[in-house]
Amino acid sequence: MIHQYKSNGYNIVLDVNSGAVHVVDDIVYDLIKIVEELLKNGAPDDSGYLAQAVADRKALSYTKEEIEEALEEILALKAEGILYAPDIYEKYIGDFKKRETVVKALCLHIAHDCNLACKYCFAEEGEYHGRRALMSFETGKKALDFLVANSGNRVNLEVDFFGGEPLMNWKVVKELVAYGRSLEEPNHKKFRFTLTTNGVLLNDEVMEFVNKEMSNVVLSIDGRKSTNDRMRPHRGGQGSYDEIVPKFQKLAASRDQMNYYVRGTFTRNNPDFSEDVAHLADLGFEQISVEPVVAKPEEEYALREEDLDKLFAEYD
Amino acid sequence: MKHIKTLSTRDYKESMKKGGCGECQTSCQSACKTSCTVGNQSCEKVK
Repeated sequence: MIHQYKSNGYNIVLDVNSGAVHVVDDIVYDLIKIVEELLKNGAPDDSGYLAQAVADRKALSYTKEEIEEALEEILALKAEGILYAPDIYEKYIGDFKKRETVVKALCLHIAHDCNLACKYCFAEEGEYHGRRALMSFETGKKALDFLVANSGNRVNLEVDFFGGEPLMNWKVVKELVAYGRSLEEPNHKKFRFTLTTNGVLLNDEVMEFVNKEMSNVVLSIDGRKSTNDRMRPHRGGQGSYDEIVPKFQKLAASRDQMNYYVRGTFTRNNPDFSEDVAHLADLGFEQISVEPVVAKPEEEYALREEDLDKLFAEYD
Repeated sequence: MKHIKTLSTRDYKESMKKGGCGECQTSCQSACKTSCTVGNQSCEKVK
């Protein structure tokens, strides 16, 4: 099975069953689809035969010599098993479904409360459709014990501190990191902690701890001030951009621009979201991830089917 | 090769034989970290 597409002047060919990725010129790009069909219909993988069969179709404007040369390369990859690889996986499905599963990662909702009131928040401004609450150390401790107990022979375990805004329950985060570390050696495990934060409560003490203990930090910001402040205001309506940007810049620099992400969400309000990505790059951030909002269709900021062409173009 | 440049020579057939090591980072797959922490990680075996 072949998946092929053109992007930014490149012809990309993914051979699905082997996982190989190839960049090809126009003639190979055109030939690959035709040859796949010919082979499926029982044609031999012989370049002379295939060249004739392709020429007979009169679909391509290349000479027979050009076609033969390109076919040689296509067939060489086929022989290597990295093009037109057969689907050998179906018979494994039964066993795969019966495999014993493990838990190797947890996302801890450490705070069901938030100091921002982002319009698109699935946590309903941090309240998660319920009362505001903070996870206790006892509950978090049980979660880490559960993870270790159910992780089988996996060594690396991931724990995300998420919310709401995790920094609103910072003391418990620190206690849980310490507790997790104490579990590592006796159980032969390694914890990789991640913190997701809106930055409002970020300070030097937090940064120092994060740089020591967190393998990744996800910093929420949507891009340009106008974009960010429209969707990520405080409860009183004032924007968050001005207070978070310097702190995020400081944290990113202190991590040598690695092992963090500034993470934005785009909505119908900023269909030109590539400008927001560019803005984040202009601010000096090197690890950027901006992704589409997930929202009920009736929300005014929800992305609609009719927006897709424009959004796809932004990715190019 | 004149016409083709192979970027990734991953061979699923090979990994099928032994199975993976299962140590890839995983994380919450709701909207929050999909591509951030999963999409760009390096292989635990190659490290």
